[in-house]
Amino acid sequence: MLTGFPMTVPADSWTEQLRRGGLELAILLAVAPGTRYGLEIIRHLQEATDLVVGEGTIYPILGRLTRDGLLQAEWQASAAHPRKYYRLTDAGTRRLRVMVQDWRMFASKIDRLVQAAAQEGGK
Amino acid sequence: MNLSEAGESRVRGYLFMLESSLRTFLRRDVAADAVREVESHIRERVRETEPMPNERDALNQLLEALGPPHRLARAYSAEMAVDEAVSSGRLGATARALVALALNTARGFAVGLALLIGYLAAAALLIVAAMKPVFPDNVGLRWMNGEFRGAGWELSIPPGMVVTHGWWVMAISAVLGAITLWLTHRAARRYLRLVSERRQLRPGPQSL
Repeated sequence: MLTGFPMTVPADSWTEQLRRGGLELAILLAVAPGTRYGLEIIRHLQEATDLVVGEGTIYPILGRLTRDGLLQAEWQASAAHPRKYYRLTDAGTRRLRVMVQDWRMFASKIDRLVQAAAQEGGK
Repeated sequence: MNLSEAGESRVRGYLFMLESSLRTFLRRDVAADAVREVESHIRERVRETEPMPNERDALNQLLEALGPPHRLARAYSAEMAVDEAVSSGRLGATARALVALALNTARGFAVGLALLIGYLAAAALLIVAAMKPVFPDNVGLRWMNGEFRGAGWELSIPPGMVVTHGWWVMAISAVLGAITLWLTHRAARRYLRLVSERRQLRPGPQSL
């Protein structure tokens, strides 16, 4: 359990870190078009990505994003049982814009490196 | 799928365990809101599940996808306890957040241990100061046959032992205790603020 010394990150761990890093952005993107409740967000992410490994992972993050003022939560009664709906706040919209921009820049830089490595390797 | 009595009791058991674990770290109302949301998730998943011959297996599958209640509680507590401690600064909230971090990360454990030693040292000094008015003859510098044996509070003084400078020891203990408490609490709050800021850059509960 104790870590702190530099070492090579195993492939599984690297993928896990990448997945965790993308999850907050994915959740904000899921509620960007309109309000969604927890299970709806999970379904949306499961359809489009493999980011959600444990369904319970989402709820603590939703709670934190709400406390950080990026999401607004509201309980609404439905036919079967009440649901907690989330929507982006103005601060959340601004944050999402920055995150998407950062993500695109980061991805394009890594892509360039991958292409350069592939071209050099092909010589 | 409609749950049988046994299935219903399994769901209630899961929620009970989740709430019990959450209450260790979180305020009652915050824990109740989290449990309500998870219950809503379970009810909806149960409703959309096709009736199966073995309800127990279906329910196990559903709850496994959510994660064990203690792990889910740990993820909640690591996220929420820190925020509550940072925003309120209260001693109880700070202690809950430190416990949550100590249970979740190696660094949290090390820092929590160091801070615990600080809090205990402060408490010991303040107890020495508080005991002087209650046991006026048992607090001070202890001497036996002219040889120094220690300082502080001794519940029972053996025959031949002399206790001196009691009020000085009380005053110094009170001042040192207060300073140690202030410094330790300040360090704890600074650490929690740091954790909170870093987490915004590195999302995702560590325990799931």
